[in-house]
Amino acid sequence: MSQTTRSEKKRNQILPAIIFLIPGFTLLFVFFLGPLLYSFRISFYQWNFAHPDRSVFVGLANYITQLTNPIFHRAILNTFAYTLITVSLKMVLGFFVALVLNQKIPARSFFRVAYYLPVITSWVIVSLLFMYMFSGMGGLVNYFLKDVLHVISKNIMWLADPILALIPVILVDIWKGVGWATVIFLSGLQSIPMELLEAAEVDGASPWQRLIKIILPLMRGTIVFLIVVLLLGGLNSYVPFQLITHGNPMDQTHSILTLMYRATFTRMDFGNGAAISYLLTLFVFALSIIQLKLLNKPIGE
Amino acid sequence: MKKSYLFVLVSLMIVMSVVLGACAPAATPEPAAEAPAEAPVVATEVPATEVPAPVAIRYWHTMSDAEAAKLDEVIAAFEAANPGITVEATRYAYGDFKTAILTAIAGGDVPDTARMDIAWVSEFASQGALMQLDGAMPDFDTIAASVFPGPLSTNKWDGHYYGLPQNTNTQVLVYNKASFEAAGIAAAPTTMEEFATVACALTDTAKGTYGFAEGGTYFWAPAPIFYAMGGKVTDPEITTATGYVNSAESVAAFTMLKDLYDKGCLSPNLLGGGIATDAGQGTGIYGMIIDGPWMVDIYKGNYPDLKYDFALIPAGPNGTSSVVGGEDVVILGGSKNAEAAQKWVSYLMSVDTQKALAQVGVMPTIASLTGDASLPAYFGIFMEQLKTAQARVPSPKWSDMDNAINNAYQRILKGEQAPQAALDQAAAEIDALLVK
Repeated sequence: MSQTTRSEKKRNQILPAIIFLIPGFTLLFVFFLGPLLYSFRISFYQWNFAHPDRSVFVGLANYITQLTNPIFHRAILNTFAYTLITVSLKMVLGFFVALVLNQKIPARSFFRVAYYLPVITSWVIVSLLFMYMFSGMGGLVNYFLKDVLHVISKNIMWLADPILALIPVILVDIWKGVGWATVIFLSGLQSIPMELLEAAEVDGASPWQRLIKIILPLMRGTIVFLIVVLLLGGLNSYVPFQLITHGNPMDQTHSILTLMYRATFTRMDFGNGAAISYLLTLFVFALSIIQLKLLNKPIGE
Repeated sequence: MKKSYLFVLVSLMIVMSVVLGACAPAATPEPAAEAPAEAPVVATEVPATEVPAPVAIRYWHTMSDAEAAKLDEVIAAFEAANPGITVEATRYAYGDFKTAILTAIAGGDVPDTARMDIAWVSEFASQGALMQLDGAMPDFDTIAASVFPGPLSTNKWDGHYYGLPQNTNTQVLVYNKASFEAAGIAAAPTTMEEFATVACALTDTAKGTYGFAEGGTYFWAPAPIFYAMGGKVTDPEITTATGYVNSAESVAAFTMLKDLYDKGCLSPNLLGGGIATDAGQGTGIYGMIIDGPWMVDIYKGNYPDLKYDFALIPAGPNGTSSVVGGEDVVILGGSKNAEAAQKWVSYLMSVDTQKALAQVGVMPTIASLTGDASLPAYFGIFMEQLKTAQARVPSPKWSDMDNAINNAYQRILKGEQAPQAALDQAAAEIDALLVK
């Protein structure tokens, strides 16, 4: 008896659940999964955006074009280097700023606001500001290096060099992103029970030992979360590349997404644009699997 | 634990949303493809029997403030002359314009008419996104016969015309008179040899001034010098670039620019991260730049005290030349009001409209207006330059060709390749584009 009523009860719960899920799934399908599959199809065509019926099926040609293209290779390298540098620096700087702001220092609220301000400023304005700062003629950075510090004898054309041009791109992201990492770290720090730290202090643990043995292990969840989100943000970087370097010089400073944008909207080649998107998706997917493995370990052990 | 899946999902969505941005509008393109075939039939049958329903023509453009204000007057006059037709003009920033048109076409909700860069017409036409005008528009032949052949040729794709040249422009030498006086130079250079000498005479490394500056390395910037030196990108039939973009003349043009760059007479701003040409000339840093008729408005607004003048591009071995710019007006393939759109296009191409817009600096394309007393005086030098100016290659692959030459120019300036080697590589890259 009790068995059947329980399964009946279950069945009674399933129908409403389905009804409640329908709107969500419809939206998901119409605006997310449907276009996703559609663009997957586009990636196998020489796509005609005005008359899709005139598109020519080209198999894997778009993917091969990209994978054999030195500009795409360079864009991958740029994107990964950018992600690696920005994520690690944002993590380290964000953590130390959070440690400092977690102390009872004077004007603490002011500093918390100050560090968060860059996060909410416009990407476009900040990118353009950094571009002007790194201008090869009359830029602030050259002025400091040459006329104030006398480290260089002649102006550096930052944006004309494929490596140096990435410096403002990376700096703007770090400058803008540290505040956000700080806020997340702060919330992590504040969730650590004070008793633990006090007990450790009583037991004679040095500040270094408290950091290594208590704070870091207890913040593992926060750290992993930040790594995941920052990595994905880095791989999807577009605005600073597009606004500061435009891929110049010689197409050596593209990110994967600026190439995708150029293929689709400048060259009107939707097939290659979609192929680049799916290649990026593949990288992100592979990375996600690795990260899931990391996350599956128990936290705080 | 659950959180982590959520974040992976969220992050995947970030990637996908980019894909969506690019491709979602393409999901409903079918109506766009079929509409033009049916729409005109409806439009022609209804007016015969009853009062025509008011038709709204959409017109997209990238005009300046002054031009847009003048356009409002033109629209008012058109609507008064054509009761039942209204024109809704929408203005875009140049940088967003191609994306806007592309999205509209892919989404199947297109503007009826648009004024687009002459370099885009063949790209859009090759995708079947534009309406063929010859044989479809009643007064096409009359209008086509009245305009300059150079700008008209930019509308041609695969033997047919997909637009009409609404306005034209070209680049000439713009020089700062004060810089010339200070260096004791009496007149603008008339030959390329003189130009190179003057460029270096105006340069003062100590003061940080440069005799000559270009806005970038994209083809439009060196094009006037390239064409004046006898350079060519492809053969007239657009079948090969070998022997053209890497010809002795083309190499000579880039060699001259490289020499100027190495001597410090050509500002390094063109490789990125420097002072823009207008700001540089306006503040006396750049002696000479090469630019278009819009500089009159820019200097009037930003540097009203600047003393400058225009001159023809210095002559190369075969005389002066420059590059043709401007915009074409097109009717989009998906327009549901093709007949009314044709009337609007005809009106834009009329002598009165062209004269009206000329007052705010838009150069007309109607040949008979050359030397017209009502046109601004400074048009004279640009009209003169247009006689020898050349159009860029009218090919849907143009933006890739431009990029190939752009990158070659950068390799030359940075000394990574000699001009000949860099242009040989560009020729091979462009040939590969033409094979497809």
